[in-house]
Amino acid sequence: MSDVLLSVENFSGAFRAADGRLTPVLHDVNFALRTGAITAVVGETGSGKSLTALSILGIQPATFVRTSGRILFEGRDLLTLGATALRAIRGRRISMVFQDARAAMNPVFTVGQQLAEVFRLQHGGSRDAAMAKAIDALRRVSIPEPERRARQYPHEFSGGMAQRAMIAMAALICRPTLLILDEPTTGLDVTIQSEIMELIVELGRSAGLTACLITHDLGVVAETCDAVVVMNAGRVVETGTAEAIFTAPQHAYTRKLLAASLLVPA
Amino acid sequence: MSAPHILESVAGHDATADTPTAPPSPAVQVAVPTRRRAPLSWSMRIGLAVLVFYCAVALLSLVWTPFDPLSPGVGEGYMPPSREFLLGTDRLGSDILSRIMAGARYDLGITLVAVTIALVVGTILGTIAGYYGGTVDIVISRCVEVFQAFPGLLFAMLVVKAVGPGVLNIILVMSFIGIPDYLRLSRAEIRSRRNWPYAEAARMVGNRSWQVAFRHLLPNSAGPLLAFTSINAAFVALVTASLGFLGLGLDPNTPEWGSMIARGQDGVMTGEWWLSFFPGLAILGMTGAFYLLGDALSDLTDPRRRR
Amino acid sequence: MRASDYVVLRTQALRKTYRVAGGRNLVAVDGVDIALHAGETLAIVGESGSGKSTVARCVLRLVEPTGGDIEVNGRSIMQLGSVSLASLYREVQMVFQDPTASLNPRMTVRQVLHEPLRLHLAMERSQREKRALALVDMVGLPAAHLDRYPHELSGGQRQRVGIARAIAAEPNVVILDEPTSSLDVSVRGQILDLLLRLQAELKLAYLFISHDLQVVRHVADRVAVMYLGGIVETGPAEAVFARPTHPYTRALLSAAPVAQWGVKRVRLRLIGEISSPIDPPDACRLVGRCPLEQPSCSRKRPPLLAVDAEHSAACPVVLGHEREAIPGAEALSRRSGGEGGATGARL
Repeated sequence: MSDVLLSVENFSGAFRAADGRLTPVLHDVNFALRTGAITAVVGETGSGKSLTALSILGIQPATFVRTSGRILFEGRDLLTLGATALRAIRGRRISMVFQDARAAMNPVFTVGQQLAEVFRLQHGGSRDAAMAKAIDALRRVSIPEPERRARQYPHEFSGGMAQRAMIAMAALICRPTLLILDEPTTGLDVTIQSEIMELIVELGRSAGLTACLITHDLGVVAETCDAVVVMNAGRVVETGTAEAIFTAPQHAYTRKLLAASLLVPA
Repeated sequence: MSAPHILESVAGHDATADTPTAPPSPAVQVAVPTRRRAPLSWSMRIGLAVLVFYCAVALLSLVWTPFDPLSPGVGEGYMPPSREFLLGTDRLGSDILSRIMAGARYDLGITLVAVTIALVVGTILGTIAGYYGGTVDIVISRCVEVFQAFPGLLFAMLVVKAVGPGVLNIILVMSFIGIPDYLRLSRAEIRSRRNWPYAEAARMVGNRSWQVAFRHLLPNSAGPLLAFTSINAAFVALVTASLGFLGLGLDPNTPEWGSMIARGQDGVMTGEWWLSFFPGLAILGMTGAFYLLGDALSDLTDPRRRR
Repeated sequence: MRASDYVVLRTQALRKTYRVAGGRNLVAVDGVDIALHAGETLAIVGESGSGKSTVARCVLRLVEPTGGDIEVNGRSIMQLGSVSLASLYREVQMVFQDPTASLNPRMTVRQVLHEPLRLHLAMERSQREKRALALVDMVGLPAAHLDRYPHELSGGQRQRVGIARAIAAEPNVVILDEPTSSLDVSVRGQILDLLLRLQAELKLAYLFISHDLQVVRHVADRVAVMYLGGIVETGPAEAVFARPTHPYTRALLSAAPVAQWGVKRVRLRLIGEISSPIDPPDACRLVGRCPLEQPSCSRKRPPLLAVDAEHSAACPVVLGHEREAIPGAEALSRRSGGEGGATGARL
């Protein structure tokens, strides 16, 4: 299919212990991200959802080894690319938003400096032009007084504001084809969480962004995502459109997860 | 309703996703930490073996040495290592091997006793200061900071000079020097854990505050404290030997390694290297073993440094 | 289950402030009145910075209140000294948010459970052993787990141990501080289920601190919504969820995502983020964020006003100025007589 931006095919992997023994953690993972869609990868602790996402970016833990399969991005297998080629893709073509935005930013530079720096790395240009771009990006993620905020340090940002800035960097500064969001609203208050999710959807629609949302929260998924991949214990148990997953779940685990999210009997 | 009834119905639910006892899926296995003791590292094994050897030698010297370590003239002066005197003899013709064996009692003994006193006193004060905070903390911490202003060796020299030589004095001075470090370390450890939920939970199940501090918090700080104790022991051994070398610690005739080096230092220039070399080697071995052990212990107890 | 009128826990005008730089005061809790009745679940709902956890910690004297009064089973606990606090902990216990951090990593489940039995109830070893066995039974753990260390248990199992410890000394009030927020969703239901069963079995009153509206709806008889240190709305859970009145409650409810397809939410949006708790003016705490704001909102902090018999909210704009102010404590101490809320296990 031509409209598939990224596909994970028969991807299996394991953790290598210090004594060389392998503990398999991913089993034959298969799913595809359609261009322009927001796809959720849903699972609980130990489902392997984050590991899969990190593998796409090539930032998986050092002890993790692939045992089979490939991850195709625009026709190229990401898992076979060298460090230089991966670096070229990372940021410019695929970027990522992490759970704790404040921890993901460098505490000794202002938020504006960091955004501007990333802009210059990706697109070049003068320092002033990059800072203007940074402020513009902050404005577009609805950060009030972006000129003043750009001069502040990450610790002066609230969790919600920091996540906005992170999204500004990952989506607007890097201008990637694929944006991966790893639990972007976990730990934020619900009122903030819903605003962040609205921002993500809006950016996805307006910028034609393909997004992959890694989450444990089916509530967030129901309102924002087009497609869903359900993972459990290192396996993909079900994939489908969001509507199908929520209205006619096929797999017992999906049904159990849905019931548990709503606190109703399975 | 009886309790077993509840058990039945709840246990029925539980078997779904939440038990590591059920045949775990591999992904879950990674998430659940396993209690497997890591094999002892090589530095730990070597450190322990050397220290056990030193202890054995010290004990053995109580009942047997090749010659009387204290009597001069068991051989001629300045005899190089030979079959009869394995490590040679010193200026007065005493057997160096016998003296080194007897010296283990002094150097190891002083180190162990001084370190133990410092550990116990420092940790108790530090735990109190760290857990209770406030005025208690300020008083204890300030008192200790005053003593810390002096460098350890200098302080030891001054005090020993003032109170005079003797094993007991050296032990007291050495433990006194160590107390501030143990205090600061245990205070920081306890402070960082004082408001942890398990400390609060311990309070809530009926523990008195001292019980929370000493029974719940302190054992969880044992790792870093032990690691430091070992490294501190190396330092104490060195300072003890240094005092001996400077002639400040014990009667210069005592077979203490530092004073043995001092006694042999003139020989270094004239070629009688064994006079100072072997006692020096004994000190090096002991401090090295303590360092190895301390390093291995801090590796073992610091999760960030664990592989 | 119908709760009795006996109040097991009451706070009156509870206040906690912290001194911050510049001699200013950070107001964490500002005049909170709650009354928890025997056998019921009162949920305190709020986001970070609302002061809900501070209220819970004040009740346990883990935090020293700055003002107001706290009564447990009719006795003021404000003057209890450090030693007599033990008597408070026989009546009030707590289940912590993070089950891992709340268990001593060096103690087995048996040691954890023996402690309150030895210290609070002065039981003999053989009695303790019997009781510990009964306790793990009650929380649905196999007896073999008594010899396990916390890291040998899953998150849900650790929380079960935390619950067993809390009920060991037979308190009649248990404070549940976000007891499921660090657990996976599938485990969350099991733990709530267990808590509801134990409540029915042991006639426990729960003060349930949570930000998770789904959970609160499932377990609470009554709800108090907190924002910036004060209660903005309180009432029977069904009433508050069905007819949220205060703008903040509405915003909170309309922002909570639901795992269902095609749920259309009418959003009430607040402007910006939570305002500073440092030296707040005598005004509605929502000033500056509220879409319904009137000039009168900045003049005085509004009291709780009656929505109906047991339901009240601190918003004169929504409720109309003409309504008479009712004392918050009175509104809270009256309890819904109708639906008893969720007491049976539903999952």
